[in-house]
Order: sequence, then structure tokens, then C-alpha cells
Amino acid sequence: MTFDVVTTGIALLTYFGIFSLMAISLNLEYGLAGVPNFGKALFVSIGAYTAGVTYTRLLPIIAGHTPLNPCGETLGQALQLRSEIMQGQPVAGFVNFGITLVIAALIGGVVGYGLSYITLRLKEEWFLALVLLVGGEILRITVRGYSPIICASNGVAAVAQPFSFFDDVRTASVAYMLLVLVLALMAYIYAERLTRSPFGRLLKAIRESDRVAQSLGKDAARVRAQVMMIGSAMAAVAGVLFAVNIGFVSTNDYVVALTLDVWVMIVLGGMANHRGALLGVFIITVLDRATAVVAVQLSMSDISIEFNYVRFILFGVILLLMLRFRPQGILPEKPQTTQVADGFARTS
Amino acid sequence: MSEALLISSLVRSLQTGSLYALMALGITLTFSVIKLPNFAHAEYITVGAYAALILTLNAEVSLVVVLVVAFVVAALVALLSHVVVFRPLEEHQTSEYTMLLASFAVGLILRYVLFLLADTLEIFDKRIQIGQEIVFRSDALILTNIFAWVVPTSVFMVILLVLLLNYTPLGREMRALAVNMNLAQIIGIRVERVKVVTWLAVGGLAGIAGAFWGIQTSVNPMMGWFAILSVFAAAILGGLTSFPGTILGAFVVAFSENTLMQVLHHYLGLDFSFKPAIPFVIIVIVLLVRPQGFTDFFQRLRTNRYER
Amino acid sequence: MLEVRNLQKQFGGLTAVKDVSLTVPQGKIIGLIGPNGSGKSTLINVVSGIYPATSGAVWFKGDDITHLSPHQSFELGLGRGFQDASLFFQMTVLDNTLIPVKKQRGERPWLAPWWRSWLGEEKQNANRADEVLQQVLLRDHINKPAADLSGGQMKLLELARTFMGEPDMLLLDEPTAGVAPTLAYNIFEQIRLMRDQFGMTFLIVEHRLGILFDFVDWLYVMHMGEILAEGTPDEIMANERVRDVYFGD
Repeated sequence: MTFDVVTTGIALLTYFGIFSLMAISLNLEYGLAGVPNFGKALFVSIGAYTAGVTYTRLLPIIAGHTPLNPCGETLGQALQLRSEIMQGQPVAGFVNFGITLVIAALIGGVVGYGLSYITLRLKEEWFLALVLLVGGEILRITVRGYSPIICASNGVAAVAQPFSFFDDVRTASVAYMLLVLVLALMAYIYAERLTRSPFGRLLKAIRESDRVAQSLGKDAARVRAQVMMIGSAMAAVAGVLFAVNIGFVSTNDYVVALTLDVWVMIVLGGMANHRGALLGVFIITVLDRATAVVAVQLSMSDISIEFNYVRFILFGVILLLMLRFRPQGILPEKPQTTQVADGFARTS
Repeated sequence: MSEALLISSLVRSLQTGSLYALMALGITLTFSVIKLPNFAHAEYITVGAYAALILTLNAEVSLVVVLVVAFVVAALVALLSHVVVFRPLEEHQTSEYTMLLASFAVGLILRYVLFLLADTLEIFDKRIQIGQEIVFRSDALILTNIFAWVVPTSVFMVILLVLLLNYTPLGREMRALAVNMNLAQIIGIRVERVKVVTWLAVGGLAGIAGAFWGIQTSVNPMMGWFAILSVFAAAILGGLTSFPGTILGAFVVAFSENTLMQVLHHYLGLDFSFKPAIPFVIIVIVLLVRPQGFTDFFQRLRTNRYER
Repeated sequence: MLEVRNLQKQFGGLTAVKDVSLTVPQGKIIGLIGPNGSGKSTLINVVSGIYPATSGAVWFKGDDITHLSPHQSFELGLGRGFQDASLFFQMTVLDNTLIPVKKQRGERPWLAPWWRSWLGEEKQNANRADEVLQQVLLRDHINKPAADLSGGQMKLLELARTFMGEPDMLLLDEPTAGVAPTLAYNIFEQIRLMRDQFGMTFLIVEHRLGILFDFVDWLYVMHMGEILAEGTPDEIMANERVRDVYFGD
């Protein structure tokens, strides 16, 4: 049996970092502000498709080449050119990666703000949940059918991670893992500080009653749109990292199941508790890898059961058990406020 | 655009619309009575289709028997999801999003149990074994016995449901529950019994729709999931509460997926790969422009109601 | 301060408020009474912008606020309280009081993560909240969740909370609903204190007429969606028509 612990560990931690970004963003939106974002896949896919576009159009320009059509007859040459640039011109690779992150975050943020502001002014959160769920599928189907973005259903390959200029594959993947983990840590600290600020307090107030918050001078629709903007930008960044990590952009990766995975993570770990969200991500990514390993092992043995199916059933059962027996998650929300409250705790 | 193409697309619209109506009525019914937008509904459809498929693979039976079996099996699975998952959650007064998530989870579990089943029995993408015959043929139009069954059966089931809702004590209790759960309890409606009947009806209708769907195309574990967003589009067009609105919505969605798609393809060159996007576009437009769907329209046909 | 002109509100075919005009002068406590279903709460909801008016106008401090949403009215200085205690129950008493403070730097998402940019301001607000809470005898509960308070304390907290938004005028819908009589008296004393010290104006819907009459300057009586009578408490007490609708049958 061939099972490389180090490689698995690197892959696992990279996934942990990427999904941490998604889970923290959903935890800000739903856990803290009560906005049911059932369109996580939409915003993650925005990041991935952005990467698909920049790697095929922008990257050659930065590296001083003329971009080739990535889809038609020049597909092979374009692919070759991308690989050569990523391996031979690390600076161009990094500049392109950085620009991709920024563009993705901007588009994600604007779409997140726009969709939620329009919907929340008209209707309750209910409809936002459906609009986002459905919006993700519209985008997916459109991109799958409209070839100029990522060559329709063929997808775009060789969207390499920026460290792929290292000759040693393991060094490259460790470097990328560290980059992802640093970004995830930054997101965690940012979310934590946001939660313990007056803005976080405002989000909690709106979560509890937008009617009352409005009567106290708060524009609930705008504040919710703001948190959706932050969360969506974060999700789009995660989308870039996700696509670049697997080196391939395909519409098949950004389905409703992705949204559900992220929901399972925060329900499991703890709603409105960012440490809980991270714990949820960790448990699910480990479980996911473990079941994947089991599936591979089983497929090599004589047992004819397709373990990948069992894996989904297992996820469903975990989600149901949590909702039923511990809806607040493993780590429940802390009644934390801004730090001024500590001063009064001592005096009174 | 040729006449034959147009007519055949209209026939398809009618046939798909009837099936969408069967499925979407279930969504509207669960949403009104149980207060749940049930995404596991997709899997009741698939369950019905698989029940029918397995039956016809093992025995030679008439279409009526196939439909009855699909109805019963899917109804029981729906009831099971109520007893095991939704009722305990309701009793704990969980939020509506928790219920929505739970319905996703139930759907996920059912879907992959069906995958396991299909894998073990090796029945992927098989057609339900009911012979298709041509019952009508002209230059522009060919009708099969399936069409002759689908539309009347759907109409019959819808009429049955309407009669049940409007003219039986149980139906009145269902409607009372839909309007106000607390009040319904106070005036002594046996809430649990009404809910059980609702689940059975919802699951059964989905099962029949699934069986028809499987006769028309083929059966695989994802079929319900692929249909469900179109079906939700239909239910949202009905404002998720109005039954006539839902039926109208089902035909609007089916018409735009088939005939409108055909027309757009012919005149604007729209690729057929966009076909699945049409119901989603409809949902978004409706949500943004007319969140109440067709509800108002049908309410105005009746009396001016007191609203808050 | 507040002027309601020919206000009308219909729900479907039902007219809840028909052609109501009333004036609330600066620094006064005005009562709004009437039997159940006479349209008082609807009127308050229309004035504060929760329901859109069918016709008519609402003017506040010289501005037409008929079509403003509740948060915009609040920005202009028109606050309101709800019939049911409408606190943020999962949040602490202090957090509840800090929510309505206007124009907080820390509420801007761009500044929020940089604590240094708002911490000074936050401390000032917290100190002010501390004083206000002492005034309503809630200082000892400052870090408790609002859900742990008694019914009367909740009503007091609601009053203190709205006060933190520095409104010029408050619309109160039954500020003493579900509160023991002595505490109800206390709540009205707080209201009078706010008026005397800060010149605040009040429009109060109340069922406890006995207490209300001790505190109001002027009364409006609503019946079937219309203003039936207005006057000082004594005049209203003496009004035959008011007696008929209220104490008739």
C-alpha cells in the first residue's frame, strides 16, 4: 500500500487553509449577521473564473508575450506558454497571482454587495438565500456554455500556483501551503477583530431583530450588504486559491455541494465563533481526506462498495445529528463585546 | 422555424409542465403546511422513479400498477423523513434555515443511498420498462401513449388534490394549518395527523412524477436533483403559497425551457447549453420584480382580503 | 415639533387610520388613547415609517418625513419604543445601550478592525451609557444578558437605550405594558425627567389612564381610526363622547 503521509499532510493543510477562508466568511455572514448565504459556491466560483481569465490573458502580457486564444486550435500552445512562464518567470507569476487576488476580491465584493442590497431592500432574507443559491447555478451554467471565459465545459488547465518555479514539487507545495495558511490566519484575525468591534455588535443586533435595529437608526439592509461584501470578497480570494491549488478551472467544482460543505463546517464547529469555524473546517477536511484514503484502499481490495457514496451519506448524517443535538456547534458563541465591557465587569 | 418543430416543442412543454406541476405542488404544499422549503423533495422524485424501475425490471406489470407502487414507496420515504428528521427538529423549535439545511442533508443522504443501490444492482440510466407506442401521427405531430397518460393523470391528481383541500374536513384542516399554526392547534385541529397526510400526499405526487419522468427519459440518482431547481422556479412563481399560481408557474417554466428555448435558439442563436439556466433566470427576475409571484393575481380574483 | 396632516392608512379594504391630524409641540408630553383597535398603534407605525402612509403627510422639525424609513427618521431625532419589550435579548445590557449611539466610527466596516481608531470614542460612549443606566437603576446589571432582566427592568432599559440615541422626540407604544403599577409610575417619572432636563418631546400610547393623566399635558382620543376628541386630561374626563366609547356598553 502506498500512502505518503507528508504529501497527504501538505494537501490537507492547504485545503484546511482554503476552506477556512470560506468558513470564516460564512460565519461572518450567517453566524454573526444572520444573512443566510446559500450562494457560497457563487462567490468562490467568481474567484476561480477570474483566475481562469487572468492566467490566460493577463499572465502572457505581464511576461511580455502576446496572449494566445486558450480554447481553439492554439489550446496546446497557450498551455505550453503558461507552463513556461510559471516555471521560468516567477516574478510574472507572482504579479499575476497578486492581481488576480485583488480583481477577484473586488468583483466578489461588488457582486455580494449589489445582490444582497437589492434583494434585502425588497424582501426578507429568505429570498436572498434562494437568489444566491440560484445565482451560483446561473453563473455556472453560463460559464459552462459561453466559451470565452474558461473555454466552456473544457475548463482551463495549467493555472499553476505561483511557487511552481521550484524544481522540487514538494518545496513548491510546502511554500504554497504556507502562503495559504498565512492568508487564512490573516482572515481569522481580521474576522475576530471585526466581531469584537462596534460593527460586530451592530451585526449581532441586526441578526436578532432588524426591525428594532432599524428603529434605532441602523440601515439594516446596508449593513448586511456590507458584511456580504466582506464575506464575498473573502470567498472569491478562497476561490482563486482553490483553483490555483488544483491547477485547473472547471465549472464542475463549484456546485451547490460546495456551499453545503461550508455550511456543514460552521454548523459543526460553532456558529458565530471563528475558532469553532476553524475546528469545523479541520474536522471535515480530515474526515474528507480520511474517507478518500479509505475509498482508494477499498477500491484496490475486493470490496465492491463505492465508498465515495458512503462519504456523502456520512456528511449528511453528521449535519443532521448536529442540527438536532447541538445546533450551537462544538464551540458555541461567546457573549463577547468590545473590550470596554471588561472595565465595568471589575467595578460593578 | 418549422411548424413541426414548434408543435413538438409545445407538446413537450405540455408534458413537462404537467410533471412540473405535480412536483411543484408538493413543494408549495410542504411550504404552506409544514413551513419548509424542502430540497429533499428532489429525492422523493428519484425514489419514485427507482421504485418503478426496479418493479418493471423484475415483473411485467401495467402502468397503473407502476404508478401506484411509485406513489406508495415515495410517500413512505417522505413520511420517514418527517418522522426521523423534520418532526424532531420542529419540536425543538429550530430556525427556518436549520430546517432548510436539514432538508439538504436528507436529500444528500437519500441521493447517495440511491447511488449505492443503483451501483449494487447496476441500474444506472435505465429506462422504466413500459412500452412506448404511437397513438397519433400526422405530418406535424406524433403523440405517444406516454403523453396520453401523463397529461390526464397529472390533471386528475391535481383535481384530486384540489378536491381534498377544498371539500374534505381534512383539507380544511390542512388549509387552516397553512394559515395559522397556533390558531389551528387552539381550535383543536389534529396537527400531527394533518402533517402525516400532507407528507404522504407530497411524497406520492413526487413519486408519480418521478415514474413518468423515468419512462420519458431514463432513471439515475441525480435526476430529481437536476429537475428540482426548475420545480422550485415554478413554485416560486406561485409565490410558494398559491396552488393555482404554482400550476401556472409549472407551465410557464416548462414552456420557456422548451418552446421559448427553441424560439430563442432559432432567432437569436442561443446555444442549447443555456437551457438549464432559463428557470434560474426566471426565478431571479420574479424575485426582483414580483416577489409575491402570481399570488396577488389569484387573490384578486377572489375577494379582497384583510392583509397586514 | 411633530405635525400629522390628514393621515390615512388602508390595509387592503380596511381603513385603520382615516384622516387624522394632530400636533405635538416641543417639550410636551402628549397622550394618545382610545379603545383597542382604534388605530393608535397603526398611527405610531405610520409616523415612524414602518408602514407607508396611504395619503396625508407627517412633518418633523420642519421636514417632510412621510416617506422616510424608520432609520432615517431616527437619524433626524425621532425615536420610538415598541409595545413588546424589543431588546436585543442575547446581548448584554451595556451592548444594548451602545447600539443606538449615532455615527460611531467603530460601526464603519473599514475602521472596525483597527481598534485604536474607535476605542477612545467607545470608552466615552460606555461612560455615558453607565450614567444613563445608573439613572434607571440598571448599573449593577451592566454586563448581564438583557434576557435575564425582569419585565420592568426591560422596559426601563428600552427607555434608556432609546435615550442614548439622543432623540428630540420619542414615540412610545405602551411604555408600561406588563409592568407592576409602582414600576409603571417610575417609568413615567423617568419620562418626565427626560422632558424637564433635556427638553425632549413625547407622544405616548397608553392604556393605564390613571397614571397617564398625571403626566400628560394634552390628550388625543382615537376611535374607529379618527380623532374623537382632544384636550387636557380634565377636559377629556368630562367629555361625554369619550365616556361613551370608553366606558359605554
